[in-house]
Amino acid sequence: MLAFRFLRALTLVHRTTPNSSNAARSRRIQRAAFASMAYSAGPRRAWSRALLCRFHFHRARRRCAGRSRTAGVPRRPSTTGSPADGLRRLVPGGTEMDYCSLLEETADYIRCLSKQVKLMQSIVDSVGPGGR
Amino acid sequence: MEKERFLSVDWQSPDMNSGAVADQLPRPFLDLGWEQPVHHDAKFESAISSLVSSPSLNPSSGNGSVVVRELVGWLGSICDSGDISQTSCYSTPLNSPPKLTLPVLGHRQQGGGGLPMPGNEMADGQFTGFAANPGFVERAPRSSCFGAWSYGGLGDQSGLPEAGNLSRVPSSHSLKSAGALQMGVPDNGKDASKSNPERIETEMRSKLGGGMPPSSTSGRTMASGAANNVSKRKAASRGRGKEAPLSSSNVNSPTAAEDEHPDAKRCKPAKTNGADKDSVVKQETEQNIGASQKKGKENNAKPQEPPKDYIHVRARRGQATDSHSLAERVRREKIGKRMKLLQDLVPGCNKITGKAVMLDEIINYVQSLQRQVEFLSMKLATINPQLDFDLETLLQKNMHQEHEPLPQQVYPSEGTSTAFSYAQQHQGSPLQSAITNGLGVGQQPLCPFDGLADATSQLGSFWESDLQYVVRMGIGQSQGAEFFSQSLHAD
Repeated sequence: MLAFRFLRALTLVHRTTPNSSNAARSRRIQRAAFASMAYSAGPRRAWSRALLCRFHFHRARRRCAGRSRTAGVPRRPSTTGSPADGLRRLVPGGTEMDYCSLLEETADYIRCLSKQVKLMQSIVDSVGPGGR
Repeated sequence: MEKERFLSVDWQSPDMNSGAVADQLPRPFLDLGWEQPVHHDAKFESAISSLVSSPSLNPSSGNGSVVVRELVGWLGSICDSGDISQTSCYSTPLNSPPKLTLPVLGHRQQGGGGLPMPGNEMADGQFTGFAANPGFVERAPRSSCFGAWSYGGLGDQSGLPEAGNLSRVPSSHSLKSAGALQMGVPDNGKDASKSNPERIETEMRSKLGGGMPPSSTSGRTMASGAANNVSKRKAASRGRGKEAPLSSSNVNSPTAAEDEHPDAKRCKPAKTNGADKDSVVKQETEQNIGASQKKGKENNAKPQEPPKDYIHVRARRGQATDSHSLAERVRREKIGKRMKLLQDLVPGCNKITGKAVMLDEIINYVQSLQRQVEFLSMKLATINPQLDFDLETLLQKNMHQEHEPLPQQVYPSEGTSTAFSYAQQHQGSPLQSAITNGLGVGQQPLCPFDGLADATSQLGSFWESDLQYVVRMGIGQSQGAEFFSQSLHAD
């Protein structure tokens, strides 16, 4: 499912913004990648929920304001010395989890990320060097 | 840990022993004697609980209980001929069980000869403590086996090993003595009269006489009978309400089967609740029952425990048994499991040992993956335009990758072409139609292409967020569609 979602999003991005810069498009594509990842992971995962919340309410910034803020703002410097701080910053929604579930979410996040990377790599490879 | 336990068990003697003299002897070996049952064989339960129940029933008749205890201790020590020479009462009973069958018989033959002589002296010395039952002493030597046992038990250097050896008695295959004791003592235990000791002796003698000659089958039957008695006694003692202080759910629910899975958590309240004799002994005996082998006990996983109110964890040997440390241990094991999963996910982490290094590796890996996504998206942004007609092949490829290969490869192209055509026409609605088509395509291996509705409804049920609107409506300005499009489009 990830492939379809992402490819669809990819095509849409390309279709709807043919004139924007590569950088903007790449950012959009990256967001599409994360969104499709989160959608395919489903609402069962905390990280996917956090990602979707971030995406959905990013512009509105009304609802989930607290959540998105806590997710986006760098919470605490690693002076506290907790070993999982770096991981919390990396995994979406990781700041609000206990260590045990953080590890679980990290595992799932890594799985999804690697799937996404493989997918994108295969797209790039199949399109070949003759792009644009 | 052992010290803690048997310090808490210390209360037993002061409560039960009225006689000062009687106190001193039975107390040390009783207290320490309980030590081993805690750790060791399961079948101590019956004997020990019998011991405890009788004293608990007869708080006033401390002497009788003392005698009972000593009796049991002697029996235990007798059966443990291999350990008789051992000085420490903490000698592992596990060493004894294999030897118990032989010693029991051997005692009969040899005990009469060799042991009684030194045993007699010891017996006399120890019998001084048993002022309450001179009759018991007299009767003891009469029965051959019993006399041998008593002497064998008294042959120990201290009173300690006796009670400790008692715990080993049931562990032998020929549980004659244990069976006899169990049969005898429970009945006595239930009887609050002061004639307990005598009745115990007589019953023991009879049971011993009956138990000795037959093969181990009798011992086994006695063991089973003991188990029944155990459960009966437990029920009886529970009925007396002495278990009230204990966590009720734990204590009242256990059956004979559950006895085999003693809870460390049950141990804890027993440990701290020094006033409740039955509970302590019962838990210890339960622990005994639960562990036919020490190592087997350690290896018992938590999930094997019968489900109760809360997570039950068995305390391993030598580990803390209070709830905090148990919960900590559970948590640590969970974390360890997840770290192992992560180790499998992150390539090249097999050699790494240690959580900190592992965490750094994981962080690096996640960062590298995210950077890869960014880089690939940049690449995709540049190579886009060719995707129109390449999409079909890509979709087919990905379908093969992600789903089972099916001969329905025509459909993806149809789906995508329709999606593209829609996309060219509108802004809002093509998104939904593209999504529905894509979903139908996506579900291809799972359901027929015509069953688009089924596919979308499947997805909708699975995914309760905004996407549901997108899927079901297919039209309309649902929030989900808007958000989805927003997430994909420019800022």
